[in-house]
Amino acid sequence: MNFFETLFPVLETKFNVEKDASAHWDHSVIAKASVLRDLITFLKNDESSKMEMLLDIVGIDYLGFQDYESPRFAVEYVLKSISRPGNRVRVKVFVSEQDLEVPTISNLYPIANWQEREVYDQYGIIFTGHPDLRRILNHVEFEGHPLRKDYPAHRRQWLSTNDFLLPALEKRLESKGYKVVERSKEVLPNEDEYLTGSIQE
Amino acid sequence: MTPEAQEGNIFTSSLDFLVNWGRKNSLWPFPYGTACCAIEFMSTETARYDLSRIGSEYVRFTPRQSDVLLVAGTITYKQAPILKRIYEQMAEPRWVIAMGACACSGGFYDCYCTVPGIDHIIPVDVYIGGCPPRPESFFDAMFDLQKKVEDESYMKQRAERLKEQIEDIKRKSKECREDLVLRKNEACEMVSNTVRSKVNDVLDVFPFKKGR
Repeated sequence: MNFFETLFPVLETKFNVEKDASAHWDHSVIAKASVLRDLITFLKNDESSKMEMLLDIVGIDYLGFQDYESPRFAVEYVLKSISRPGNRVRVKVFVSEQDLEVPTISNLYPIANWQEREVYDQYGIIFTGHPDLRRILNHVEFEGHPLRKDYPAHRRQWLSTNDFLLPALEKRLESKGYKVVERSKEVLPNEDEYLTGSIQE
Repeated sequence: MTPEAQEGNIFTSSLDFLVNWGRKNSLWPFPYGTACCAIEFMSTETARYDLSRIGSEYVRFTPRQSDVLLVAGTITYKQAPILKRIYEQMAEPRWVIAMGACACSGGFYDCYCTVPGIDHIIPVDVYIGGCPPRPESFFDAMFDLQKKVEDESYMKQRAERLKEQIEDIKRKSKECREDLVLRKNEACEMVSNTVRSKVNDVLDVFPFKKGR
């Protein structure tokens, strides 16, 4: 028997989820943002599902989508079970343009930290409670969110000087037990020159 | 500078020949490889193609010791300042080869994150098309670059540089002189103003009779 047929009624009663009608090839549920954390925790720990692995977090922009009315954005979580191979489930959360907030799951799955940063970077969806919600792919001077459908495809944005990533690196080293004794003066960005470097538009 | 020094003569042209001969046969590349073009460059270095035939076998991984900046691969906007800085760190004379479609024009990455050709940031001497180009085309580019190096005149460049420096010095000294004159005039005006006000003060205290 398909695991999803036993799992879905449990989810339906516990978290009030719906089946995604557009999913023909796999198992997908639509959840509210308010129950997302509990739902993912349940899917991760419960014996019936045991989804230990988060494969991906995907942002979707439905602007201009054919025959579509409901909220503009969606975030999808693709979960996979390792102890029960082949069991996969997708969780979809709709996000409206007015309220771009979704609770973070970065403390449940460590990989979600960077994946949520990517969705924030490309779509501008805000993950509340995220420890370090910065851009991950685009540079610091970038304005807007490039994978939104209303971002002009040919708009280019120059970065004027090197991205300064040392504070993040040092924080990470310190969390691993290293200690920054001294920092050479050369690596520090000049306050006057920072973000007004030699490359101009 | 005397006009003789600006024109080529037997000594300078022989020196040019010597310098260019040395330069063109030891073009040390700096491989700035960001994509698959760099793999093709690696095979150019191997025994099958053997870049050391034209004296370029020393791949230097520091801009201070290299002559040719070989940009092999896609350059994103995030990476553009790093490339620019490396170009600025290279000692003159320096040449740039844009290898592959991405470095020449952005290639098929027509999007928000890719620089549409590195010539937006740094000057390029030789472009190589292809995605990725074969080692043969890289050799072709190196031969083109050698021809270009051959034509350059060390003494002429030196003369031009000296001329620029002299003009710079002249311009700066002229600016300084004008500044000095301006400040002198200001100082004179200030002194005369103070003297005038002092005199007025004195006149206020001791009003002399008119027409005395």
